[in-house]
Amino acid sequence: MSEAETLQMLSALRAFSPLLFALLSLPVIPLVRSNRFGSRSDAHVRGGSAAVLLLLASSVAALLAGSGYASTLSVGLITVDPSEPGRLLVTLGGAVFALIVTVGQGRRAGAMGQVALFGLAIIDISLAIPIGLAPIVILLVGSASLSALAAGNKEDAQRARAVFRDLRTVGVLLTVIVVAELLRSAIPLSATDPAYATTSSLTAGVAMTLSLVLLGMIGAFPFHHRLVRIFESLPIVGSLMVGVWIPAALSLIILNELSLLSSSVSEPIGGAVVTTLFFTGIVTLLFGGFSALLHDDVGEVLGFLAVGNAGWLTLGAAATLLHPSAVGPLLVALPGALVISLFGLWRISIRRHYELTSLQELSGWARRTQAIGVVLICAAAAQTAVPVREFFSGGFSIADDGGSPFITVGALFGAGSLAAAAIRLFLVGLAQESRDVHRTHAGKILSPAAIWLMAGAILISGVAGGFINIEAAASGLLRPDAVESVPQNSTP
Amino acid sequence: MSPLSLELPLALVAALSGALAVTSARRAAWIALVLMATAAALLEFRPSDSLSPALLLRLTAIFGATLYALPPGLLAWRALVHDLQPRRLLATLAEHPVVAVSAVTGLILGTIPLALPIEGSSVLLRGAGVALLLIGLPPLLTSRYVEATARAAVVTLSGALLLRASILGALDLFSSIAMAASFAVLLLIGAAVAGQLTKAEGQ
Repeated sequence: MSEAETLQMLSALRAFSPLLFALLSLPVIPLVRSNRFGSRSDAHVRGGSAAVLLLLASSVAALLAGSGYASTLSVGLITVDPSEPGRLLVTLGGAVFALIVTVGQGRRAGAMGQVALFGLAIIDISLAIPIGLAPIVILLVGSASLSALAAGNKEDAQRARAVFRDLRTVGVLLTVIVVAELLRSAIPLSATDPAYATTSSLTAGVAMTLSLVLLGMIGAFPFHHRLVRIFESLPIVGSLMVGVWIPAALSLIILNELSLLSSSVSEPIGGAVVTTLFFTGIVTLLFGGFSALLHDDVGEVLGFLAVGNAGWLTLGAAATLLHPSAVGPLLVALPGALVISLFGLWRISIRRHYELTSLQELSGWARRTQAIGVVLICAAAAQTAVPVREFFSGGFSIADDGGSPFITVGALFGAGSLAAAAIRLFLVGLAQESRDVHRTHAGKILSPAAIWLMAGAILISGVAGGFINIEAAASGLLRPDAVESVPQNSTP
Repeated sequence: MSPLSLELPLALVAALSGALAVTSARRAAWIALVLMATAAALLEFRPSDSLSPALLLRLTAIFGATLYALPPGLLAWRALVHDLQPRRLLATLAEHPVVAVSAVTGLILGTIPLALPIEGSSVLLRGAGVALLLIGLPPLLTSRYVEATARAAVVTLSGALLLRASILGALDLFSSIAMAASFAVLLLIGAAVAGQLTKAEGQ
């Protein structure tokens, strides 16, 4: 093999490292589950452990491979150029999902690990190919596939209906994104003849269709129903991947497209698109927060908290259209995914311990399981810190740029209602113990599993809330060399 | 024969089979879907001298996924001949006049130029695209049946891609691969979810 071929092989390994680990899981997990490696009763434990190791390996490999020139693969017309955000999502996502799979265990731990591995690979690939139709289509189709995989073959009508709803949403959004691309491609030609649509109207049309895809996928009001049902019925790894992580990657792509779109035209984007996005963002925040306060099922509460997170992303889209060069709105996607993942970690810990999904039946849990309480405190702290950091004091100031006191007051109330929903979960834990909780054996707070859980939660909340500046550190580690780098795509 | 001379029959076949794919049941619906997808792919990629890899990929994905999604025993010859009688197909369309009218309206609307800078736009491709969008979108948004929704999604997406192709031409390689995967995934998930719901509700 010549030196050039060796280098290309190495580039391919670096470019596709998350995908390779996902593909590796296909033979490895069934192999370690086989009787050759132990008894049949422990097969799920071995499968789960293998999945956790692969997730951690994928995370480390993404960090080491980075997004520099050496990781860029060019074969003929095809160029795969891993991006910094893609690698950051895989690095952090690998570690977060490894922790969730470890805590969750269960009979399908191996399969859930595979869902996480393939989800992260899809995110990495979609952020590594040039902007256009393909990356968004890959994320939409990947989301539908993973929700079907996460639902499994279980004859559960509720799960099947959640996947059906996802299928319908993806079917509609695929069509909308083709129309968005059609309108966008027409913009440069719009000055050729006054009989055609104007540049302003086409730009507004593209902004509107792209925003529609974003709102539909992240689960903003009034498209929240799909997201809530996903969290209510799918396993937590599948819910987080389909409901939060893939939408976070999609929002990075769409916010970047909106930024390019807005900066390419001299006039402000009309058609009331920005106003509608601000209004939708505020309504989504308030709706998510108040619904999370009013519901009893833990899965639904988590779904509404994710809807609240979608509110921030929607405000981010509006902010990007107003200020295309602002980076603040882009930085809310990853911390938001981490915050909801922390709530997911809390949910799976509670569910594994008590097998309960009703908050009323869960009263008093924090008195007996302090380690899980620490996870919830971390989640609530991070949830409060993210908007303060990104929207009220960071790259985008809602008070200055929202253009209306209504927007500022609504955002403050929305953030407050989401924080109140998290505090309510904790107060339920401090209330008088329910009979079900009282019967359950209390775990030791200083057991290795509890320490691992608390340390993981503290680290994740530190990253999400900006207390640990891993984003900047990781960007430094992943940043391509300025001289050697040949940027192929403009994804932030 | 010029490939362009095939556009009119292909556009008519795409619109008619698209309408049957969302109105018929079982055999006729699946056969109509395959016919619609083939006609739409031929219109979109316009093979002249040789078949493009993107067209082959699209057809392979749709045929493969349809074969997997087909309920067992659906390709029995006698039943197939019985279900595909022209009289039956016409009766099906007559039972769903809104869909039939949507198909015709779409073909007529396609002849009116859009307000877009479209110098290379093809009237027949645009007509077939608009017709498939009008046929597929209502059942995609409202149908309670999983397989029918999946078929409507394929019809609608084919329509959007035809509309796009009438203005911008065929897709690039990455997008072609992603779209072929989309068609396959829509059909496979539809079949899997329909099976699960049938089993769960039968218990």
